[in-house]
Amino acid sequence: MNTTATAQPLERIAGFAALLRDHGLSVGVAEQQAMVQAALQLPIGRAAHLNAAWRAIACHDARDWRRWPELFDRYWYPQRTRGSSRVSGQTRPSRSLQQLVQSLHEGMAAGSPGQAPADTALQPAAAGEGDAAGERAQGGASRSDPLHDRSLSQWLPQDLARLEQLAEQIAQRLRKRLTRRWRDHPGGRRLDLRRTLRASLRTGGLPLHPVWRAPRRERPRLFMLVDVSRSMETHAQLFLRIARAFVSAMDARVFVFHTRLAEVTPLLRSDSAAVQEKVNAVTAGFGGGTRIATSLADFHGVHARAQLTRRAQVWVLSDGFDADEPQRLAEELTRVRGRGARITWFHPSEQAPASQAMVPVRAAGTALVERFLRLNSLRDLAQVAEHIH
Amino acid sequence: MQDAELRAALHRAGYIADEALATTLWLAGELQRPLLIEGDAGVGKTALASALARAQSRMLVRLQCHEGLDLSQAAYEWNYGRQLLAIRLHETQPGQVRETDLFAREYLLERPLLKAISSERPCVLLIDEIDRADEAFEAFLLEVLADYQITVPELGTLSARHVPQVVLTSNGTRELSDALRRRCLYHYLEYPTLAREIAIVRHTLPQAEGALVEQAVAFVQRLRREDLDKKPGVAETLDWVRALHHLQFTAMPDDPQALAATLACLLKTRDDRFQMGGDRVRQLLEGRRTVGVAEKAPPST
Repeated sequence: MNTTATAQPLERIAGFAALLRDHGLSVGVAEQQAMVQAALQLPIGRAAHLNAAWRAIACHDARDWRRWPELFDRYWYPQRTRGSSRVSGQTRPSRSLQQLVQSLHEGMAAGSPGQAPADTALQPAAAGEGDAAGERAQGGASRSDPLHDRSLSQWLPQDLARLEQLAEQIAQRLRKRLTRRWRDHPGGRRLDLRRTLRASLRTGGLPLHPVWRAPRRERPRLFMLVDVSRSMETHAQLFLRIARAFVSAMDARVFVFHTRLAEVTPLLRSDSAAVQEKVNAVTAGFGGGTRIATSLADFHGVHARAQLTRRAQVWVLSDGFDADEPQRLAEELTRVRGRGARITWFHPSEQAPASQAMVPVRAAGTALVERFLRLNSLRDLAQVAEHIH
Repeated sequence: MQDAELRAALHRAGYIADEALATTLWLAGELQRPLLIEGDAGVGKTALASALARAQSRMLVRLQCHEGLDLSQAAYEWNYGRQLLAIRLHETQPGQVRETDLFAREYLLERPLLKAISSERPCVLLIDEIDRADEAFEAFLLEVLADYQITVPELGTLSARHVPQVVLTSNGTRELSDALRRRCLYHYLEYPTLAREIAIVRHTLPQAEGALVEQAVAFVQRLRREDLDKKPGVAETLDWVRALHHLQFTAMPDDPQALAATLACLLKTRDDRFQMGGDRVRQLLEGRRTVGVAEKAPPST
């Protein structure tokens, strides 16, 4: 067993990288190579520090950063994560970090050329990337339950094109807001004196190259919160498909929630079957109750804390059934509004949601939710495109 | 320098880093990769870069990013005034001035990026608040961060003599591009734990009473759990303890009124000041986070 453990440290790193990829982290060949280098740089006695080193290499944003401890423990210390199911289909020999670093160092000391271990390490990984897409389907999501077989199975290619067109149209209609900042613009009406003088130096002090500035207008930053609880099961797929269109049309950030909140923007950016299955896996793992207020608190307090300004628009796509205390939803929406963000509520039903939690929200008029709009089909979206601004 | 030594050196330079951060910094140096640090305002991102420079006895080159930042402010600019002067001087002397004479290195004004690239000694380059710069500037940075070189069309490509240790900071007000993120190592800096923050304050303000420091830091930690617009960072804690020390406090007073004036060091918006009324401050002083359910201290009698 020991021989197996020491013979294949690079495969184990590759397996770990595959697990990270399966969970949405961008770990490519360069990252994997850096992970091997980090393991080689660390003295054997300090193998435990690989956690911090690899985290710095593999994580690229705060979302990855928060997910890391769970993924690291799941692979290297499975005994710590009791009760969780395996997602990757990898076989799992002994996974001791100490052994791994030691065998890597021994490999180096045995006289193999400096770059050789790294290169051979990356062979299976590079080949594995293609395979990984195939294996992913064995994880959380099943191929027998893809998006197209659900309620949207009648969608034709022209419907998808229409959806993208509508998303573009809505993105164009969203009013650009004037900011306090100015930008360089040849047609601007305000002279940037400092830069004009600076530019005049190259012509001996003659201001032949005036620099003009115009007020800067920016499109709103769009956040979409999609309810994927059981009560929304039949609508969540449509909402996610619409959300995907807005991710590509105006770089929206998309979150899904039921009793917890998770960001799925990176998954919606690429349009492959494997990625779609990941999205399905995220939503399939959900179901059950809904805690809209708790999810909203997580949204404005953690995920979008620095980006919720008066430039932001928050779209909640939900039926409004909330398991939290009834008054909490209004409180959390007030906090989002307090940051200056504008809230629009999209509901799949004919009438605006009238659950207990929604009563105080609707009683507040437009102070909390600017408008309630029905969204259950492309036709509804087309109407949205006419009304929204 | 191993990560443990780097951690000790940072401590001597006045920055108390945890093991993970020290390992990441060490790794960034070993792999010669830039380090992107994100976190809330006031957690010590900028301070880390300056402490790193002190710890390694290197020069700190700082580029403060802002909207509209362009190449001439960040990398280099031709010294047009000097070029014109040179032309005038040559007019009084025989012989013609050539264009290559005017676009030589001596007429190049070095801005922070070029200064770091062409530094004779290894340095630390701090690119502060990169999220405030425009996307176009971010794209320009890719060349600098990937190959540590800057291309000046008139001169050619200038490569780094010593690869600088680059630290980028971001407050997350704008999403950075994937290309930039993937060129960097990443670390998310959280607010320090109670023990670490006490150590930071003690290290920076050794003259303050131990009891005061512990109680004040515990108060700030509780305050951060409140729903504030602007949570106090480590710099605010230091300011506050400094203010309390100047006011001759040796421990936290029981009466919140005595603290009212000094809370300006911690609470920076009107809403936060309004929210932290006398009663709320008293509850925090007593160690209670919320009224009713989660009271942790016995009610005052």
